[in-house]
Amino acid sequence: MTTDERAKRPDVRQVCDFLQTFCAVMLADGAQTLRVERNARRIGMACGMAVELAMFSRHIMLTVREGEDGESRTVVRSVPAGGPNFLRVQALNALGWRMVNEHLPLEDAWREMEHILALPSVPPLRLCLLVACANAAFCRLFEGDVVAMLLVFVATLVGFRVRQALGGMGMNPKIVYLFAAFCASLTASCGVIWQWGTTPQTALGVSVLFLIPGIPLINAVQDVLDGHVLMGITRAVQAGMLIAAIALGLSLTMLLVEGAGV
Amino acid sequence: MNDVLTLAAEAVADGLFAVVACIGFALISNAPRPVCLVAGVLAGLGHMTRFVLLHAGMGITSASLCGATLVSFCSMACARRWHTPAEFYAFPALLPMIPGMYAYRTILATMHFLSATEAVDRETLLVDIAYNALTTCSVMGALVIGAIVPLFALHGESPLTRWYRRATGAEKRGGGHEAPPRQG
Repeated sequence: MTTDERAKRPDVRQVCDFLQTFCAVMLADGAQTLRVERNARRIGMACGMAVELAMFSRHIMLTVREGEDGESRTVVRSVPAGGPNFLRVQALNALGWRMVNEHLPLEDAWREMEHILALPSVPPLRLCLLVACANAAFCRLFEGDVVAMLLVFVATLVGFRVRQALGGMGMNPKIVYLFAAFCASLTASCGVIWQWGTTPQTALGVSVLFLIPGIPLINAVQDVLDGHVLMGITRAVQAGMLIAAIALGLSLTMLLVEGAGV
Repeated sequence: MNDVLTLAAEAVADGLFAVVACIGFALISNAPRPVCLVAGVLAGLGHMTRFVLLHAGMGITSASLCGATLVSFCSMACARRWHTPAEFYAFPALLPMIPGMYAYRTILATMHFLSATEAVDRETLLVDIAYNALTTCSVMGALVIGAIVPLFALHGESPLTRWYRRATGAEKRGGGHEAPPRQG
């Protein structure tokens, strides 16, 4: 390496600044812990630095060191709240590879990352319709009839709109899930009260399943298998609390329905 | 013969509904469009496999394990083709197989158990709770194990893959599941 190239190389501080944002965003967006660690090391290697990383549910600790006994820098950074976002994780993962393979300079990588963070998600109304279709199809997988599928479609529309509205107000996710599950199952419980179709109980059960945090559950099991047991358990507990909130919303509906004498 | 045809038709229908379910659920996690489509097809394949195995008399946990393993193998082929890590295809594809209904039945049985007065009812309900809760956990574990064990065993630099490459003399094409950093 020539002195000219050495002068162009980023210093420890710049790499550390970049990596702490990169890792925090990736963790918040629901990447597997192992993937975050690999990406951080890979980017560090591309910049000629060693990276050590400790991850917890709400914080990360990051050390970047230049060479064997060069300058080193350690930061603790909090992880923002967020839900799974595949688009961003995939884009950030690809960015990490580009920094290695194409020697993307750090300034360009920063610009790229800001661009990735501003990527739009699916328009809310379209998302709502698609999720309703998905849950109706899901109902069919559990042997629900056409009436149950329609019921689930409407219930999911209601429940997902509630989730979007309350989530947009910045309410606590557990409360959001509770209300969304309650509204969805209350809509579906019409079928149980008036005995629509042959499988109203299936409709009631499936109506809240679109809320089940599937990706966090999968991540949790994978983290445990990867040896990131602490992160895995944390994620499982967080997903479990959301499931408890869904169950509570559903139980409220069932209490009401049983109270109505069905 | 007719039975086989009916079963095949049912299996295809099952697969198609799984495709729709998977795409919608993947979009909640803001999956990019190409990933959604591929994961949808994989989910259809996986769910169809599970459906057929269930009808052949296999238990739901083993059937889920087989379905997830198939999804995993297919996702590795897709990962090579489109240069995206295999989990991005495999994990959304597992979503329709997540045992939400068993979780729901666990809660339902628990509620009935708490309000039951007869000892006989309680005994039946307790069995219901245990059965459904254990099924939920074991299916969840089977799904992830089925999906990631092939990925661990066969990623770019694992001994098995290296041995296979040496044996066949195949060139490695980069960008697969976990290609090592290529430094120029």
